[in-house]
Amino acid sequence: MNNLIYIFLQALTILMLAPLVNGLIRKMKAFIQKRQGASIFQMYYDLYKLVRKGSVVSEVSSWIFKATPYIFFASALVAAMLVPVSTIILPKHIPGDFIVLVSVLGLGRFFMMLAALDTASTFGGMGSSREAMVSTLIEPTILVSLFTIGLISQSTSLSQIMLTVQGAGFPLAHPVYIMVFLALLIVIIAESARIPIDDPSTHLELTMIHEAMILEYSGRHLALMEYGAAIKQLVFMTLLVNVLVPHDQIIAFTGFLALFLSLLIYFFKILILTGIIALIEINTVKFRLFSIPNMAAFAFILSFLGILQYFILGGSNV
Amino acid sequence: MIFTDLHQKLTASFGKDIKNIKIQNSKEMIIEVTSDTLPGICSYIYLELGYPLVLMFANDEQSLQSGYAVYYVFADRAKGLLLVIKTPVDPERMEIPSLSQDIPAAATYEREIKDLFGIIPVGHPNPKRLVFHGNWPEGEYPLRKQFPLKRKPPLAKKEMSFQKIIGEGVYEIPVGPVHAGIIEPGHFRFSVAGEPIINLEAQLFYVHKGIEKLAEGQSIEKCFYISERISGDETFSNSLAYCQAIEKIAQVQIPARAAFTRVIFAELERLISHLGDLGGICLDTAYLFATFQFRMLRGWAYMIADELCGMRFLRSVNKIGGVRKDFIAGKEKKLITDLQKIRTELEDTVHIIKANNLFIDRVENTGILEPKIAAELNAVGPAGRASGLGFDVRKSFPYAAYDKLAFKIPEHFNGDINCRMNTKIEECFESIDLIFQAVEAMPQGSILEPVNSVEPYRSAFGLTESPRGENIHWVMTGENNTIFRYKIRTPSFCNWPALCQAVKGNIVPDFPLINKSFNLSYAGNDL
Repeated sequence: MNNLIYIFLQALTILMLAPLVNGLIRKMKAFIQKRQGASIFQMYYDLYKLVRKGSVVSEVSSWIFKATPYIFFASALVAAMLVPVSTIILPKHIPGDFIVLVSVLGLGRFFMMLAALDTASTFGGMGSSREAMVSTLIEPTILVSLFTIGLISQSTSLSQIMLTVQGAGFPLAHPVYIMVFLALLIVIIAESARIPIDDPSTHLELTMIHEAMILEYSGRHLALMEYGAAIKQLVFMTLLVNVLVPHDQIIAFTGFLALFLSLLIYFFKILILTGIIALIEINTVKFRLFSIPNMAAFAFILSFLGILQYFILGGSNV
Repeated sequence: MIFTDLHQKLTASFGKDIKNIKIQNSKEMIIEVTSDTLPGICSYIYLELGYPLVLMFANDEQSLQSGYAVYYVFADRAKGLLLVIKTPVDPERMEIPSLSQDIPAAATYEREIKDLFGIIPVGHPNPKRLVFHGNWPEGEYPLRKQFPLKRKPPLAKKEMSFQKIIGEGVYEIPVGPVHAGIIEPGHFRFSVAGEPIINLEAQLFYVHKGIEKLAEGQSIEKCFYISERISGDETFSNSLAYCQAIEKIAQVQIPARAAFTRVIFAELERLISHLGDLGGICLDTAYLFATFQFRMLRGWAYMIADELCGMRFLRSVNKIGGVRKDFIAGKEKKLITDLQKIRTELEDTVHIIKANNLFIDRVENTGILEPKIAAELNAVGPAGRASGLGFDVRKSFPYAAYDKLAFKIPEHFNGDINCRMNTKIEECFESIDLIFQAVEAMPQGSILEPVNSVEPYRSAFGLTESPRGENIHWVMTGENNTIFRYKIRTPSFCNWPALCQAVKGNIVPDFPLINKSFNLSYAGNDL
């Protein structure tokens, strides 16, 4: 029973919320720029519009181009299953841990890069090579940060990690968690193709990273790619807020009301993180492409300092 | 006479080869030479006297019993003189010696003349088509007089070829002509090794409108409207250049009030254009706060234009012999308060963006246009001034009322995006200041000195400093107050080759930013 509820809860929350997060970030950015901006539900409308449209597929492309949207979307959905939005209801056994999470997302990315090369368009190739550069630089940071917390909780399972951290009181008071928090924040920016790594709203093909890869997609294929990217972004945000700012320990009672309250707090945390991301986007400028390694190195150093501190400060006492 | 010195120097060196020397409109000296003497005298003027080649054009003068002629225009920017070398073209051979080896700026003009007149520049290093693409047939030269205006030649099917850069890991990126944003068409062929750009070849001229051909035979009043439609965002400076050329031919002195009114509108146009450019630079670095700040300011400037003349793009403000109406009367106070508001907000915005290290890191040392290359290609306007070429038509060839107003020309030497941006920022403040001065100094009086007829077969240059730089129009009148030939050279024509040089060695994702810092016109380049 728990398994079914968990799956339903995960899928429903992430799927429903992912486009809204994008809309919220856009709305906040518009607000800070003294603009009205589009409705926060704009991405739902866009997806609805795209799903109803036919898809144009280049004659020279192979099956990879057509299969990729499904693979990418599926990988994002699987990733969504691995990061609990609430620990009130946990199944007895979640098959998979954060190593699976990173690998599954890696699979989606791998196919996205292949598909971009598949059409032999100019920008796809450029996007792929840049994405490969950014992801190889950013993936070690994800793994090292998560391993640090994994070491503390003696488990690689994300639900287990969340439960352990909940017992630690307020984790962000501790230097190890601060390092990991900052490193993961940079990861979110990089993984969701936001300023200063990439500019999600640009029309300049030559500067794009993520957008360049999906430039050839249209109709429902594009909808799947965009939806997948939004889910991926929310998965990373969930990871950050639920692992490093746990909330379920403050709910003293159980039952569906507890679940409802837990989800409400989760929405609230996501909302705050959305604001932080919007502020970062407004206040920074897109980096030179070759400055991205510096930023990735910075993120890696943060996560590495986290793991060092874990050992220096005496292992499991953290 | 201001030309005495020059006259002596030239006759001393080339005395026997010079067929005829004529001085017209007091500041234009026309020297006729044969095509044999041409390379010598042009090299002498360019290398020894140091006058840059600012314009080169051909003219079909067969109806005047003198065949085709090619004009080479050199400028003495210190004294404000134009030195025109005119050479006839042998109608049997239709050839001129190419000067591109000595004068790099001549290369694009020679290709343009080759496409439009069929005059072959012998010895040109890269005689590729410029104006026409593969679909235009050989042997059709639209600017020859015998080519009918309405003629539609059959489509040829020839592929365009591009420079090949061969080496390990080098590949080509074709971009355009259709772009993702709502911008004009242009094809860019990058040769890159990874991200660094080795070479960029810009294939422009997708919007050929035949403006020069269209102008021929029109009445001088009608041609005014053509001149306003050369390039949408340089309406006023283009129409001003045209009016000035006609006024010189008609020997009309415009009233002082009209001259000051022209200054106000010219500077307003510059302000609008520069604010747009600054917003564009910020947008391309994804600096959204500053982008919307500059867009708002540009909106305010557009509103001023709308209030003054009822037209944000400043059309139908000019008129040959002055301005159409007294646009400023009674609006002085409002104009000054509105501009003051823009200036305060602009000061704050500039202060904020200059304190943003990340932003400055993007623009500094990106897209450097070396001063030497800028001088060789005759880069004009803010792009030239950012690379140490501190000239401005408003100073070197004063027009309207600029000689009565005080203003500074910004000068920067590094030639990167930061310098171009700073040049534009400083010019924004100078423009606002100039408008204040002009409103202050403006005398009462008439605003129009009507020009009813012009003498046939007379020519004159009209020069203005458009927001993008030195803008030169040359008009030759025909019978019955019509236009015989109208040659337009907008600043974009000079700066496109400079852009291609500035991007070399930069990385591909920086190209849009470099392009935006030049902000060249496609329509103004391709007439």
